[in-house]
Amino acid sequence: MIGFVEECRREWRRLGVPDPIANEMAIDLTADIEEAEAEGGSAEDVLGNSLFDPRRFAAAWAGARGVTAPPASVDSFAPLERDRRPWHRPAMLVALTSFGFLTALAAVALLIGRHGVAVAASIGRNVALPGPARFFGPASATPPFRYFVSGPSFSVQNGAPYLVLAFVVLLGGIVVLGLAVLYRTAWFRRESKHRLW
Amino acid sequence: MTIDDGRRSQLLRGVLDLCLLAVIGEGPAYGYEMTKRLRARGMSTVGEGSIYPLLGRLERDGFVETRREASNGGPPRKYYSLSPDGKRSLETGVGEWETARDAIDRALDLLKVEVTP
Repeated sequence: MIGFVEECRREWRRLGVPDPIANEMAIDLTADIEEAEAEGGSAEDVLGNSLFDPRRFAAAWAGARGVTAPPASVDSFAPLERDRRPWHRPAMLVALTSFGFLTALAAVALLIGRHGVAVAASIGRNVALPGPARFFGPASATPPFRYFVSGPSFSVQNGAPYLVLAFVVLLGGIVVLGLAVLYRTAWFRRESKHRLW
Repeated sequence: MTIDDGRRSQLLRGVLDLCLLAVIGEGPAYGYEMTKRLRARGMSTVGEGSIYPLLGRLERDGFVETRREASNGGPPRKYYSLSPDGKRSLETGVGEWETARDAIDRALDLLKVEVTP
């Protein structure tokens, strides 16, 4: 039974419960268990199923007293992983947001870059044309003009997969950003629920 | 855990704080003493988790007051007694329980009529 109380003490220490409060809880618990045993009972009479999970019990008690971050509830306890890795939720949120943002940014850069290249190519071709009259002339007038007219369709045909890829990447980035927002909302809602204790 | 066990457990959880307030209302008591009082009334509540976290919450919310008192040969025990807020909460809770119980009784009586040949 000393083992159970010691386990509780370790958990309280880990959770940052002030020593006077931890001592008080340990003394009360020990006295109750000793009384139950002196009456021919057992620690299970005092603790019930909690006897088999001292860390969870200790966390629930300290949480209910408001001397540490509380578990999900007094009766149904959140996994202890939550307390053990307090950084993993913010880290996950930062990772999701960064990934989503960078992906979307990359997609936008691809799109703008492609557009910029197309414009530059068009301007280049316009400038290369020998005289303004040829802008309005027949497509087959001269080889440079034919090249200019067929230029856009040539670019679109070759650039279509490129554009699709850019839009897919952009869509992926937006989806990941959406997931980050959902994750943040769920997390904050959970934290608010815990703060009610 | 069967569905019946789960239901029983949920029912107890829903009213355990009220039951604790009620047994504390009988007179100041320390943790294990309350467990014994509850058991004497047929509530083996500690099977689902101990009462300590719940006592902690009642104390934190100001429904109980505590004081240390010497025990026979052992260390001083922490005695819980009802605060004025606790008394009010007990009265309110008993009223709510009676209302809920009556409604459930009526619903179950209706069921009984339907299933009885």
